[in-house]
Amino acid sequence: MSELVTRFRYALCYLVLLAVSVVSMTSEREPIGTGPASALVLGVATPLQRLVTRPIDFVRWVWRDYLALVDVRSENLELRVIIARLQNENLSYREALVASERFQRLADFRARHDAPMVPANVVAQDLSPWFRSVVIDRGAEAGIEAGMPVINEHGVVGRVVGVTGSASKVLLVVDMQSRIDAFVQRSRARGIVRGQSSRECAFDYVMRNDDVRPGDLLLTSGLDAIFPKGLVVGTVETMEREPYGLFQRAQIQPVVDFRDLEEVFVILERREAPAAPGFEAAQAPVTLADAGDTP
Amino acid sequence: MRLIGLGLALLLLQQLLASVLPYAFRPDLLLVFALALGFRARAIESLLIAFAFGYGLDELSGAPIGLYALLRATACLVTHVTDRGLNLRGPWPWVVYVAVYVVVDTLLLGQVLRLAQPDLLLPWSEVAIRLPGSVILTAAVAAPLYRLFKRLDGDEEVPGLAPTALSGSGTL
Repeated sequence: MSELVTRFRYALCYLVLLAVSVVSMTSEREPIGTGPASALVLGVATPLQRLVTRPIDFVRWVWRDYLALVDVRSENLELRVIIARLQNENLSYREALVASERFQRLADFRARHDAPMVPANVVAQDLSPWFRSVVIDRGAEAGIEAGMPVINEHGVVGRVVGVTGSASKVLLVVDMQSRIDAFVQRSRARGIVRGQSSRECAFDYVMRNDDVRPGDLLLTSGLDAIFPKGLVVGTVETMEREPYGLFQRAQIQPVVDFRDLEEVFVILERREAPAAPGFEAAQAPVTLADAGDTP
Repeated sequence: MRLIGLGLALLLLQQLLASVLPYAFRPDLLLVFALALGFRARAIESLLIAFAFGYGLDELSGAPIGLYALLRATACLVTHVTDRGLNLRGPWPWVVYVAVYVVVDTLLLGQVLRLAQPDLLLPWSEVAIRLPGSVILTAAVAAPLYRLFKRLDGDEEVPGLAPTALSGSGTL
């Protein structure tokens, strides 16, 4: 017996490792590691990653703030024109909002959902070309917990999946493991935004008869117990409808540009699972989406 | 110990490359490392090292925990087994082997993902776009990396096949 074990010890060792890998991949409810081992690796690696990415950031900073400013004067003039136009537009929107009853509802929503946020910097990108996550420089010490939503000024970035004292791992919306319950702002058609580990996402499980068109804005529904309702996810690029089946499908362009992701905000609020549909409808918080066509 | 250092250095270098290179042009340095580990005489130790670095990769990426641990241990095992039948140690055979294995590794990744978490599907259209760049760059760094690997590793290698005219001249 011992001779047999000695003879096949290499194969046995591989089988043991195979079993360990398969068990850890399949047994975790949450596919990303959040245990003490994960915290240890992330805790050790993050300072090193920061050390490695700092020179790159410095070169980028020099390029962006000095070398790339050659056309800044003409660009500045153009931007002034745009700012003036936007200020006028903004003023008219403000007046419309103040005049409408919806503004009050929007204000109520903001008061109820004005969750505290923590700003954070992206310090490392995903090492694998097939997955999309980033490491940010704030962690449990800043009050961050796994499952918290991450946004930036444009919209939804992702959710926290791993936390150490001073860093967190954020699974991006475009990762293939990401799922967000969302709806179309214009028609209220619901579906699931699924990452594809590419620049785009898919909007799946949309009822075949629902009205979804290219250019439609997608917002979080709040029903996935992660993201608050009304955050912008992306815009519909194209629609795909098979000649048969219950559902139609859309390709989504996320509003966040993940190639230049530098600063994000973590919403320090863990959400509970939503109530039953009837109750949810009666108690549904009023959102930015309800206030008008423009978020 | 020096091999562990090399592995950590490659992990950091891969991190650096991830910051500056687009997704379609990234060499997989740790895959080359895991493949090279398969040549070592201390086979079980090499398998465990490959597994450990795969686990590190799992932790530092968005991958499900265990995925890269399994794939890197498998890469080490495949080299260990293949090296008995084919001469992989000539410069060209090694480069071709690494290039082919990058494709095999991606196919394995897709299959393991499908088996372990059936709702996760590798976007094959995206794979088709990114894979050529990854294959070329990984193959390009394979030879110098292996030379470095051999220089740092004092371990005696498993004797492989003698190089032939068809499989390339000399060893790396």
